[in-house]
Parts: sequence; C-alpha cells; structure tokens
Amino acid sequence: MRLGFELVMMPLLAFVIGLLMVLLLRRIGARLQRRVGPPFLQPLYDVVKLYAKRTQVSHGLIHEIGIVMAVGGYVATETLLPVPGMNGLADKGGVITLAYMMMVPSLGLALGVGQCANPNGSIGIARALTAMLAYDIPFMLVIFGAAWVYGTTDLSEIIALQQHGAWGVERMPLLALAGLMTLPALMGKQPFEIYVAPAEIATGPMVEMGGKFLGGLFVMQAFQLYTLGVLYATLFLGGGENWPLFLVKIFAVVSIPMTIAWLYPRYRTEDMLSAMWRWPLLTALLGIAMVMI
Amino acid sequence: MSAFDLLLGLAAVGVAYAWVFGRHARCGWIITLVYAIQFGVLLSMGGLAYSGRTPVAASFGFQFLGQSLHWRLDAVGWFFALITLGVALLASGFMAGEWGRTWRARGGSLRGLHLALALNVFAMLVLLASGDLLSLFIGWELVSWASYLLMALDGVRARDAALRYLTYALAGAMAILAGIVLLWVEGGDLAFDAVARLLPGLPDGRLWLLVLLFASGFGIKMGLLPFHLWQPKAYALTPGPGAAFLGAISSRMGLFALLVVVIRLFGLDRLAGLSVPFGLFSARDLLAWVGVLTIVLPTFTALRQQDARRLLAWHGVGQTGYMLLGVAVGSDLASAGGLMHVFNHASYQALLFLVVAGILHRTGTTDLNRLGGLVARMPLSFFLMLVGIIGLAGLPPMNGFVSKWMIYRALIDAGSPLLFIGAVIGTLGTILSVYKLLHNCFLGQLRLEHQDIEELRWTQLVPMLLLAGVVFVTGWFPGLVLDWVGAAQAALGLPVLAHTLGGVARAHGGLDMIWLVGVLLGGFGVGALVFLLGGRARRVHPLDNYAGGHFLDSHTRYQYSDDFYAGLMHRIGPWYRGLFQRGEEALVAWVDLLSLAMQGLYRQARPALWLVAALVVSLSWVLGAA
Repeated sequence: MRLGFELVMMPLLAFVIGLLMVLLLRRIGARLQRRVGPPFLQPLYDVVKLYAKRTQVSHGLIHEIGIVMAVGGYVATETLLPVPGMNGLADKGGVITLAYMMMVPSLGLALGVGQCANPNGSIGIARALTAMLAYDIPFMLVIFGAAWVYGTTDLSEIIALQQHGAWGVERMPLLALAGLMTLPALMGKQPFEIYVAPAEIATGPMVEMGGKFLGGLFVMQAFQLYTLGVLYATLFLGGGENWPLFLVKIFAVVSIPMTIAWLYPRYRTEDMLSAMWRWPLLTALLGIAMVMI
Repeated sequence: MSAFDLLLGLAAVGVAYAWVFGRHARCGWIITLVYAIQFGVLLSMGGLAYSGRTPVAASFGFQFLGQSLHWRLDAVGWFFALITLGVALLASGFMAGEWGRTWRARGGSLRGLHLALALNVFAMLVLLASGDLLSLFIGWELVSWASYLLMALDGVRARDAALRYLTYALAGAMAILAGIVLLWVEGGDLAFDAVARLLPGLPDGRLWLLVLLFASGFGIKMGLLPFHLWQPKAYALTPGPGAAFLGAISSRMGLFALLVVVIRLFGLDRLAGLSVPFGLFSARDLLAWVGVLTIVLPTFTALRQQDARRLLAWHGVGQTGYMLLGVAVGSDLASAGGLMHVFNHASYQALLFLVVAGILHRTGTTDLNRLGGLVARMPLSFFLMLVGIIGLAGLPPMNGFVSKWMIYRALIDAGSPLLFIGAVIGTLGTILSVYKLLHNCFLGQLRLEHQDIEELRWTQLVPMLLLAGVVFVTGWFPGLVLDWVGAAQAALGLPVLAHTLGGVARAHGGLDMIWLVGVLLGGFGVGALVFLLGGRARRVHPLDNYAGGHFLDSHTRYQYSDDFYAGLMHRIGPWYRGLFQRGEEALVAWVDLLSLAMQGLYRQARPALWLVAALVVSLSWVLGAA
C-alpha cells in the first residue's frame, strides 16, 4: 500500500519539480540577458496549451508510440530515484539500471522522429545519439567511481552512507567535478544543445513535432532535468535529509550549468565528442585513480 | 539405451531424412517435427540442469591408442544443447513454409540447407557431450566441417567466404591438436579428470603455451580478436535461417570448448597465478582484455556497415566479447552474466537474422541504403526487429540488459574501471548501430518500389514471435534462465550465483526485473493515458512534412541514410585503420611467397638432389636416435 502510494507520488512530484526547474532555467537565462523572464505558471501553461491544441499532426502509430515511450520511460525512471521519505524501487534496480532506464525515453524519441520521414529529423537523431556516445562515456565512469567508493549500487544506501559520514563531493572531488562537466551535455543545454537545435527547429528532432507531441517532449525535458539534478545530488551531495534542503540542492545542481551556459559558443557534434572525451573523461579517470590508489 | 542415445539417434534420423527426402515438398515440416521431438527429449533430461544430477552418458564409446573415448551430456552441454535445438527448431520452421518455396524457386538448394542444418545439429550434440579431449577434438572437427557446408550454399562469394573460414578453422584445429599432443606427451592420458590432475604440476612456461594454444584454437571459432575476420562475411552470406542458426549458436561452440578446457581444467585461479614477470599481467587478464577488445572494435566496425546482414554479423562478433569478459572475470555474478549472455544473444540474434531474412525475402535486398519506411507495409516485422534491437543494445526491459547488468555490476565489484568502460562503450556503440539498422530498414521514407509489398506469412512470423517472446519473458523473469546457468556454473567449478526469479538479490544493490519491467510497462501506460488526454491527432501522409521550403515526395530520395553518423565519423573515422585486414593480407602474402619458394625448390632446382638430401638427413636422424 505504502509502496503503491510512493509509485504514484514519485513521478507526480518529479513532474511538478521538473516544471519548476524549467521555470528556473528560463528565469536564469532571462536575467543573464537582462529580461524579466516568464511568469510562475508559464511552464504549466505551455504543457496545457500544447496538449489542448486543435491541430495535432501524427505521422503514424510509431510516431505516437515514440512519444508515449519518451514520457513513460521517465515516469518509470522516477520510481528508482529515492527522495526524502520515499525510496520507491531504489533497492530493485540501483544506479546502473537507472542510467540505462534513462536511455529508454531517448530511444522512444528516436523512434518517433524516425517515422516522420523527415531527413532533418533524422539528422537531429543522429546528432542526439552521437551526443549520447560523447557524454555517456565520462558519465558512466563517474557512476562507476561513485559505486566503487560507496561499495554499493543501491541509491538509498548511498544516501544513508553520506548522511552518516562525508558527502561524496568531499570523498571524490574530481569525480564530482567530472560529473558537473558532463551535466550540460546530459541536459542538452548550451553550449551542447546542437542536437536539440532549439534555435533552428527545421534541423532537429523537433521538426515534425507539434501539439501534444511537442508537449510530450516538453514533459520529457522536465523529467530529465529533475532526474539529473536528483541523481547528482544523490551521488555527491548527500541526497535529501529533508524536503527543503533537498530542493535547494537539486535546484542548485541544475542551475550551475545554466549560469555558465552562454559563456561558450555552441559546439558542433564532432567538437562535442572531442570536448567530452578530453577534459571530463580525463578528470573522471584521474578521479578514479585518486580514489582507487 | 540412455536419453542421450535417443537424442543423438534422432539427430541422425534428421540428417538421413534430409539426405533422402530433402527434395520432397513436405520435408521441411517433418524435419521440424524431428527437431521438436529432440527438443522434447532434451527437456525431459531437464532435471539435469535444475538439480545438478549426474551427467547423462551415452551407452557407446570406443578405445583408441589406449585412450577410451566416451560421450556424456552434463549441465554445461545441456545448456548449450538447449539453445542449439531451440534455434534449429525455429529456423527450420521458418524455412519450411513460404520462405523455402521461394528459396527453391530462386534456384537455391533447399535440400542442401536442411541437410547442412541437420548435420550441424548432430555435430554440435556430439561436441557438447564430449567426455575427454579426443572426443572433444572429433566433435570439434565435425562442427567445423558442418558449418562450412551451411556457409557455402549461396553462390560463389559465399563459397569464398566459407573457404576463408575453413582456412582459419584448420589453423585453429592445428593449434588445438598441438595442445592435445603436448598434454599427451606430458601425462599420457586425455581423460578430463586426468588432465585436470596433471595441469597444476606443470611449469609456468608449459602452461602458458597450453593456454595460448587452446585459447587461440577455440578463439578462432568464437571469432575473438585478432581471429575474427572470417566471421562477418561468412555469416552474412549464409542463407537467412542458416545465418540465424550460425549467428545464434555456432560460434558459441568455441566458448563451450574454452569453458570446459581452459576454464574447468586449468581453473581460473591457476590462470590468475600465471603471470608475466613483475606480476603485471596474468593469463586471466589476457582473456578479459581480449574480451573487451572483441567488444569494442567489432561493434564500431558494425557501425560502419551498409548491409543489414553484415551489420548483424559484426555485432555477433562483438557480443561474444561480453561472454568471454564475464567468464574471465569469473566471480559468481560475472560468469553467470557471461553464460546467460550466450542464451540471450542466441535469442535476439536469431530473431534479428530472421527479420532481416524476411526483409530480403520481400524486397530482394538488405542494402541499408535501398530500404526504408517498411513499417507502413510490414508493421509486425518492425515490432519484432524493435524487440530484437532493444535486446541486442542491452536496454531494459529485454533479456540482453540483464546479462550485461550482471557483467557491469561484477566489474564494479572487481574494481576494473577500464574493463567496465570498455563494456559500456560497446553498449553505446551498439545502440547507435542498431538504431541505424532499424531506421534505415523500417523508418524514414518508403521507397516507390516497396509501395506494394506485403507483411510476411505466418509460417515466418510464428518462429520470430516465439523468439521475441523468449527475449521479453526471460528479460522479465531472468530467474528462468539463471536456473540453468547456475547448474552450468556448478558443473564448470565456478562459484554459483544465488538468484531469484526476478534477477539477483544481493546486499549493496541487486536487480529485480519483475518490478522494473512492471514499472516500465506501468510508465508506458501512464504515458499513453497522458497522450490520449491531449487533443485528437490527425494522421497525415508520411511525406506531408516540413523540409525548410523543399517538398519531399517519393521521387526525391530520402538522403539521410547513407553516412548516418556523419558527425561521429568526422571524429573517429581516421581511427579505422583496417589493421587486422592488412595483417591478414600480409600473412597471406608471406604464405604465398613461402609456398612459391618451396615450389621453386622441388619443381625446378634438381628435385632428385633434394630428395637424396632429405633421405640422408632423416636416415642419419633415425640412426642417430637408435
């Protein structure tokens, strides 16, 4: 009964917090550009508007299934991420499973875009998958290092260990740094946003997406921000002792990449590979060497 | 008569039937029935795998040079035999119906195909039940030749590829024979337990030699680096169901032999103690690293393939690396992952080869640049390939994820970051590559010439649906397979993994797929509900889309299938050097040169003189020895 409640609440909370994160990122972006930024409920309005649009264009069943997978995959993923007071299925999967579950929504998106038969969409997917190859190598090394240091892949155990001892960021600062360096790419934020291509919709995965299809992807993005923020806070910042502290931590984590996002010009796909395989990878390897030797 | 006698007898009946009645129209169904009976007999021995009873022995056997040759099926052999017969049954069912008729109408020899498949099954059963090194060698040779027959069926190019395979296989067999002779010289007894008693006492140098001989001999069949070049081409050119069978299980015979000889007889601890000076690198590390290289390099070669069958065949090479890596790491979790991957790989690889065979059957091509959009015409085949590629890529909820999870988890326990990241890179590369496969076959723009093709017939779909069911169900309830894997581990002397129906329950992070798949399906349900809450969508024609001012139609070719990962190839393209290919060419050139020189000697330069010289030398050697 209790577990059932958690399985419902965890994705719901993730959705609400994810929308707030979208709002936060937009506001930070606006302040950096000396704009006011959107009102508080704007992300919610966006979702409602997109889902309620009268013109909804589907390119076929797989297009629809892709969007369902993109949202549904994250709904399932959220139940693996412990939050204060709720562990959900954290002991059933662990951090490796979580990392692979996060690829299911991407696969869904790729399927949906593929069916649209738009060459520009396929270009976007090829870029997105290449980007995944770029950031997941240092990211998985970071996960390896953390799991090795804590001696467990169980996220609730990792949190307990940190709350009774030192935080991960103290025990493995280099790995925490490497994780932070890959975060903008994982989030698809500037300067690594070429695969989302928000500025030139015609050459990205979104090209055939409108209405609730785009709405699904918007929800997916909210979930994605939440998942990454919570995962990072769980691995390195001691997880959540209580809800206020937890929220501070996860909002801080997602806002760091955004505050430095516009310092760098956008990376091309091939340059993104070099960027990810150079400093984050080296830092992660050094970090692992530091904790293992 | 034991159950194994019956099994082997039925396999022989299958061969004889295919030989005599192979041209008959109903032949395919009757042979499929024979496989089904064999499968039933094997399952009736199933207690073997669950409870670790004594192996089922054959009632025949003979003496040769003072060695007694005998055959018996233990839990390891049973596990591999289960996969062999299962895949043979489904592949045979696939070709019994419309596929076979069309294949024969196009001039292929259906009798040859059935016969070669039956011979393969027979040979593999003989190998899997070998009870000593000599019977193992006999089985090994039978399997090598049987695979050759299956590979050489489809035209001149296939025969060339098969001949290349045979050259590799013969070299491997020589290495194995040399190892067996060495053991014979050392101990004089080739029974497994006698060899196991003999090995620990041997000096390190001799052991290294034996490990290298056996591992490279068996590794050639497995397609381990650097002996992998024969495999992709040979498998890609084998007719569809045959390729499914070969890709699923044939190369695994190398792994089986490696398990029973190198892992069981030498023992992992002895291999770990076998190190080069300064203890930097042991024989076990060597195996693990060969495993990782076999994962990474072939996977990225697969990424560059333009042909669906080649792409799959290259992945077949790559996935073997996971099995070797798991077994070489050797902990309960890792070796269970490696062994379970044999089963998982067989299920999705056979499925994928059959889907591609279906595409070839309907469209006449497997060139990834000449396909696309087929989901509109063959939706079930699309769904089947989707299940297969999720399994191959190792993502939840399919079974490939479970075995790979075990290997990752074990590598974290073992503290091997480099092996771990190698395994991860392989998985990521696989995701890229299989998406390209699916995209270029089924998604994107439907070509004009494929506007009217039909979905496959049920005779083809049913075997594939069964395989897809296996991929999904054993992903949801991996404990079903882990029971058998545990028995195999016990028979190999490896630590046995304690498991549950849902996966692995252990302190500090286990896996429970029952919950995970459940929650994933629930998540999809929620996603679907949310989706349906939105406004009603209008279906448009696939080509009704926005291309920045251009208009797409069926005459304008969809140009984004060739060089799919252009950005990636910009970066890593120069890293492909074709080193192995050039190495092989260099070796061939040297052998050519050497044989020319020999020819020159005995053909032109006074053969009589050389004959006399050879006679004198051998005479003096014999006299000197006396």
